[in-house]
Amino acid sequence: MREYLLYIKTGAEKMLSAQAYVTPCFAVDQSFWQEREGCKLHVIGKSPSLALAFSLREIVNARLKEQYGTSHPMSEEGLAELRELAVQQVRETAVLYGRDMAGVEPPGPEWFTWETGDWSVSVTPEIVEDDGQKLKLRLATSTIQKVLDGRALLWEETETLLLKREAPIHDLTAVLQRMVLSERAQWRPGIRFAIKKSWWKHRLEMSCERCGSRAKDIEYTVCHSCGQGCAYCTVCLGMGRSKCCTPYLLVPATREAASDEREAGRKTARLHWSGSFSRDQAVAAEQARRYVANPRPGLSQFLIWAVCGAGKTELLFPSIEVALSTGGRVLIATPRKDVVLELAPRLQRVFPDARVIAVHGSSLEKWEEADITIATTHQVMRYYQRFPLVVLDEVDAFPYHNNPMLERAVARAVKLEGKLLFLSATPPQYLQKRLVAERKEKLVLKKSKLPLLRSSTHVLLPGRYHGSALPVPRIETIPGLYKRMRANRPISSLLQIVRSTLAEGRQLFLFVPRIDDVERVLAYLTTFFPDLASQMAGVHAADPQRDEKVRSFREKRYRLMVTTTILERGVTIPRSDVVVLGAEAPVFDEASLVQIAGRVGRSSDDPMGVVLFLQAERAASPKAAVRQIRRMNQLAKLQEAQEERA
Amino acid sequence: MRYDTCLGCGGRLNERVKESAVRSLAGQLASRTRYPVMYRLVAGLTLCGICMNQLPVMLGPSCPQCGREGSQLCSDCHNITAETLQSNRSLLRYNEWGKNLLSTFKYRGEERLADFFAKLLTIAFYRYYEAIAFDCITTVPLHAQRLQERGFNQVDLLAKRLSADLGIPVRSLLVRTKMTAQLSKQAGRTARVESMEGAFSWAGERVQKNVSGSYRVLLLDDIYTTGSTLRSCAKTILAHAGPHGSIYSLTIYR
Ligand SMILES: [Zn+2]
Ligand SMILES: [Zn+2]
Ligand SMILES: [Zn+2]
Ligand SMILES: [Zn+2]
Repeated sequence: MREYLLYIKTGAEKMLSAQAYVTPCFAVDQSFWQEREGCKLHVIGKSPSLALAFSLREIVNARLKEQYGTSHPMSEEGLAELRELAVQQVRETAVLYGRDMAGVEPPGPEWFTWETGDWSVSVTPEIVEDDGQKLKLRLATSTIQKVLDGRALLWEETETLLLKREAPIHDLTAVLQRMVLSERAQWRPGIRFAIKKSWWKHRLEMSCERCGSRAKDIEYTVCHSCGQGCAYCTVCLGMGRSKCCTPYLLVPATREAASDEREAGRKTARLHWSGSFSRDQAVAAEQARRYVANPRPGLSQFLIWAVCGAGKTELLFPSIEVALSTGGRVLIATPRKDVVLELAPRLQRVFPDARVIAVHGSSLEKWEEADITIATTHQVMRYYQRFPLVVLDEVDAFPYHNNPMLERAVARAVKLEGKLLFLSATPPQYLQKRLVAERKEKLVLKKSKLPLLRSSTHVLLPGRYHGSALPVPRIETIPGLYKRMRANRPISSLLQIVRSTLAEGRQLFLFVPRIDDVERVLAYLTTFFPDLASQMAGVHAADPQRDEKVRSFREKRYRLMVTTTILERGVTIPRSDVVVLGAEAPVFDEASLVQIAGRVGRSSDDPMGVVLFLQAERAASPKAAVRQIRRMNQLAKLQEAQEERA
Repeated sequence: MRYDTCLGCGGRLNERVKESAVRSLAGQLASRTRYPVMYRLVAGLTLCGICMNQLPVMLGPSCPQCGREGSQLCSDCHNITAETLQSNRSLLRYNEWGKNLLSTFKYRGEERLADFFAKLLTIAFYRYYEAIAFDCITTVPLHAQRLQERGFNQVDLLAKRLSADLGIPVRSLLVRTKMTAQLSKQAGRTARVESMEGAFSWAGERVQKNVSGSYRVLLLDDIYTTGSTLRSCAKTILAHAGPHGSIYSLTIYR
């Protein structure tokens, strides 16, 4: 079992910059300081609980700051007071933890063990000759630093990665602690806690250092790893258990591109693409490229707002090219694994000299080095200040808009002074507010102000690649929609569109709000179109045959697909129409409905198509979606007119 | 914290659909007199109606010794010369879903699944062993080093809940003295049987026989694969309990 020691370091004489440190290997700290400066190390105590040691460090540091200023000598009384403060804090933590775990036996005699230290060590500076031992340690450190460069990993992951790269790990704790002391890395407990005080009740507040989840998402556990009061995060569990006793290591990418790397960068950046941009695409791509190339600090975020079917992936090529050419690594993060798998080969083709990897839960390339990394948003949590350019695709598609976990993870992956590019067809409100300016002048539509087409923080592409307008959905309210369905009574507009779409040899997406609706709607349609039964199928997220069914739909073996929102993006089928059944349901928000409508009319030989929103009662989202689509069409027309004038 | 979505599909727990599924499953699992108990247990499973209907419960005839599906003593059991287990019973077939769910619990460390798995074990208990007066519950222990790495023993979490439900005390009777590789990493059946040889030793106190002089132990584990782990545990217990001991094992998966 590891133990973590808390000590305060002061200047040799005065309280100059007194600060508390946590260490799993005090001897390493002593020799580290010895090589640098004369100082005094005052031990406060030790515990097997990493989270406890860190929570104590925080309050001790806070106390040092408020009480001592900078010039008071550190007295024995002062130290005794701090040690007492720690003891009280431990006691209160144990009480609060025990209260939350009422009825459960602790694994040891108490929930938290704390052993007060009462000694101080004077460290005199000493230049130590490099012996073989020291040299070996320094070599190991540089290897390890290189492997961990720009990553944020739990202890177990750190070991796994280093083993995979055949880095020397026998002295790992010492090496990492030296990196931490020299501020080339940070470490924290996987789950941290603090006592939150309010006038009526004190409580223990836990949060996950990796994903930022807190409160009810953190589960207490009787832990045989540390034998202390412990807890783990249920939200990021799929990527390894983040616990109170698991060290979480953050290593920022320090490496500046060396001149030979910049030379190599020029080569890896070679863009091999024979396609061409439409006039609007070219303008947008150039705007984004300029943002990425601009070395001015402070410009940290940019939004490419491109409607469904505007050809947004191609827009990125010039930006990626410029980032690679300066020797930097590029990350493209997207919420869905299918997009990762589709993007990777596509980018590899256009950047043939760059190393492109696809990173998702079960990917074998997960731990490799690359020029272009394409990752699911969850995997982004494993990076730390690594990429000069991060592209966040479909920022709105994440389960919860404005998700703090996603925001935090993505922001952390960007190198200091790096660039973050958002890519979306339906940017969420908070992002529009942050990055998109509105037109000042009054325009045709008085009710909704139109956004500007470009600014220093965004560019908007309102029109599709092929130049035709977006199909505008038709909304129809059908009272008693679900009752009719259950009773097998005809819903004429639904039956009519099924009949006409299939008669014209087209295909139909039928979106439903819930998993259990899939079977129900299929059964309903089968009673009205018994001879079409073999051409209809249903799919939802947990369907084991999901991929196969989607493939069959693409190959036209199915003509009608009943689906939940899982197919709202990504899957595009030429000559298809769309119905949303129950468009008033909360799962269909404005962004989702715009995306769904965006399935239709994507190919240039069939730019039109029908989009029908059937709602059981009047609802805001379908209306808002239609308004947004209309606005985009209006903007596209406006843009065209402007260009003709110019 | 409890789950509020279905553990099978992640969907909603639709009470209306679920009701009929609960009734049908409880009816198949229990005799008429025990139906209310079974109904309460089955209704407590965090599954939607659709997934409950697909729960791979072994309802047909099974090997009287090891609980494998089939109408008579299976060939594996036939070949065993020194049987130490009175019998084994399991509730579910080990399908792909079960594999994923169990590994989320065991290896990923999602301890919130303990409630669900414990409920399945309790159901299995009422179905198979209710008539037996057990003196205690015990579990297959993890090696100390493995326990430290993993942080918890998944079966101990189940035992605690089962004990509270049934009113039978849990006793730690065994320690694991041999580190054995993970099940999936072992070569074959014979290798497994050999590696289990002497893997456990006695850690309990002196056996207190009950009034009738017998000593009945309910031995829990998550899965019965070849049974060699459970038999090795039983052997160690029997060596201390003497001829009056009888060990019955119960697992979720078979
Ligand atoms: Zn987390
Ligand atoms: Zn722990
Ligand atoms: Zn389900
Ligand atoms: Zn058998």
